[in-house]
Amino acid sequence: MMIFFWISLIVIVISMALFVYRLIKGPTAPDRVIALDAMGVTLISVVALLSLLVGTSFYLEIILLLAILSFIGTVAFSKFIEKGEIFDRGDSD
Amino acid sequence: MKSSDVILQTATKVVFFLIFLFAIHIFFAGHYTPGGGFVGGLLTASAIVLLLLAFDLKTVSRALPFNYTIMIAIGLLLALGTASASILFDVPFFTHAYDYFDLPLFGETSLHSAMLFDLGVYLVVVGATMNIILTIGSDD
Amino acid sequence: MTNLLLFPILIPILTASVLLFFPKRIAAQRAVTVVGLVASIIAALFLLRTVMTDGVQAVTLGSWPAPFGISMVSDPLSVSLVLTSLLITLGVVVYSFRSIGEGREKYFYYPAILFMLTGINGSFTTGDIFNLFVFFEVLLLASYLLIVLGGEKRQLRESIKYILVNVVSSAFFVTTVAMLYSVVGSLNMADIAEKVTEIGQSGILTVIAVMLILVFGLKGAIFPLYFWLPGSYAAPPVPVLALFGALLTKVGVYAIIRTVTLLFPHDPGFTHELLMILAILTVIAGCIGALAYYDLKQIVIYNIIIAVGVILFGVAQMNMAGLEGAVFYLIHDMLIKAGLFMLIGVIIAITGTSNLREMGGLMKTYPGLAWTWLVAAFGLAGIPPLSGFFGKLLIVQGAFEADNLWGGIIILASSLIVLLSVIRIFIHAFWGEPMPVKGTSAGIYRGLLIPAVLVTALTVFYGVGTEWLRPLMWDAAEILHQPSIYIDAVLKE
Repeated sequence: MMIFFWISLIVIVISMALFVYRLIKGPTAPDRVIALDAMGVTLISVVALLSLLVGTSFYLEIILLLAILSFIGTVAFSKFIEKGEIFDRGDSD
Repeated sequence: MKSSDVILQTATKVVFFLIFLFAIHIFFAGHYTPGGGFVGGLLTASAIVLLLLAFDLKTVSRALPFNYTIMIAIGLLLALGTASASILFDVPFFTHAYDYFDLPLFGETSLHSAMLFDLGVYLVVVGATMNIILTIGSDD
Repeated sequence: MTNLLLFPILIPILTASVLLFFPKRIAAQRAVTVVGLVASIIAALFLLRTVMTDGVQAVTLGSWPAPFGISMVSDPLSVSLVLTSLLITLGVVVYSFRSIGEGREKYFYYPAILFMLTGINGSFTTGDIFNLFVFFEVLLLASYLLIVLGGEKRQLRESIKYILVNVVSSAFFVTTVAMLYSVVGSLNMADIAEKVTEIGQSGILTVIAVMLILVFGLKGAIFPLYFWLPGSYAAPPVPVLALFGALLTKVGVYAIIRTVTLLFPHDPGFTHELLMILAILTVIAGCIGALAYYDLKQIVIYNIIIAVGVILFGVAQMNMAGLEGAVFYLIHDMLIKAGLFMLIGVIIAITGTSNLREMGGLMKTYPGLAWTWLVAAFGLAGIPPLSGFFGKLLIVQGAFEADNLWGGIIILASSLIVLLSVIRIFIHAFWGEPMPVKGTSAGIYRGLLIPAVLVTALTVFYGVGTEWLRPLMWDAAEILHQPSIYIDAVLKE
């Protein structure tokens, strides 16, 4: 079973490296945002696999933290791309 | 212009409370396990940021009518006050007290004065983070 | 009272927290600030008496045993520095009432001063090197606010430089502390000193010592690292400049003093020699700057650099006379620099310019200002019986005892240049033909001059009262000379 986890870990890390390539290469901003979001997901998988391999439950909170941060980051980027601003002032309507 | 953020707004209404509860969990976990006032405060701030993203500054300031500068001040006073209580008992500064209490529902619980200090840290972190984000985010 | 030595740190930060509640009510801000400072001064005076009667005070936070918890230590040197900082801050705060302007007062000017004071007093008091870093950051963060508050173009430009320099030096500081911890395995300064004595000051420890000297030297403005200081300090308004010039560099100097006397005193042939050469170069560079400028602010700012060099030269001698002189001169310089900056603030308020060529003849219209300036200038140059004399005498005596003849002579010669640079201000600004000046109202003039005169009077008392202060300074220098007193006081529990 451990072998299986190790192999998954390696595969995920390789895919992460590919995301880094996409993040740098672009070519458009949405590409980069999606690459970042996907990197968040792979990072979560890495932490989960590590916590299985090490056999501790202390890492589980990191997963939640990463999920929250990557979600908010993606939402903020998307809103910026879509609307050109992050916070609405709320007095225009 | 009222935009069509229906999905984001609906999701936010649920996710905000999830993040907030997780922040409280992290805050209380901070005594023996990783966590504490600082991380809890940052998570709470990120929950508020999510609200700001989904709605707008005006709506959020109506829903959460806090003055974040005052929040920093209260947090500082709470943290310092807790630490300074040791002066009254003439023990070194920051010495913390704890005891075991039989609470209904929780059973035997250990309550620490360090928690109050951490609450102060929590308030300072939320206040400072939100101050920074609002200053950068709203361009006036 | 176990916690007495924390009061001068706690009261300012508590006051600052209270001030955050009502930023727009200026009268209340002023009143609360003054009350908080007076309370801190009273606490510091009690602490001074306790330290003088009962010896070094130490408390380890959180009731942990000494090397593991964070120790706070009050020895005669730190308590006198704390008291001096509090007195200067009170003077500057009163001075600010008439000069800083409502705009700044409404945007957390007083809380920033008090937070900075917390950091300064904390740095003087702490006995833990990582905690020293934390207090450095506290005072730096507050000083970032003070330097940029007001948002003039020049302030914004200089604040970027200032922040960059300090962020880099803080990064170096943390790296150095990490290296120190990996070698020695302790962060408590007394414990480090003891362990360094045990294992001997090997090469890597000397490297760490030099890195610490450079890190603190960047904040304290020693020779190659003072490049950021003249520009950055000239940007903010005069009260902030007075605080920075009087206090901030001295925190760096204090940290260097602790480094070379407490932590790493075992290789004087290298570290102290290096410090002495840097100190002499600092003095020379400062002298050149002080003579080169026709700008009031720049002349006095370069005098800060000279003073830093003189103090560190005294420390580098590592004998009783040199150390006692350094302590004497350190406190003298804090007081006199605050006084000088406040006085040039008055001159700038009257003439509307800081360029010496555009002023003259103020003697006829403002004689009080002129005579105060003359007293302060003589005090700075060290004309007996004013305050600069005794410290410099001891430093030069220490240099001769340690066979550093040329160093002593350079220090003496620098006094002449210091005198020349400040008398030049006197000649250009007060003598000669009266120039048309902008003038200022009598109320503002009095409001600015009175605190400046009081601080100058303080320096005169410091000079005349040398005899009474001698035991305190002697104790301070003895602890620097024999760190075992300090170590025993911290680790005894």
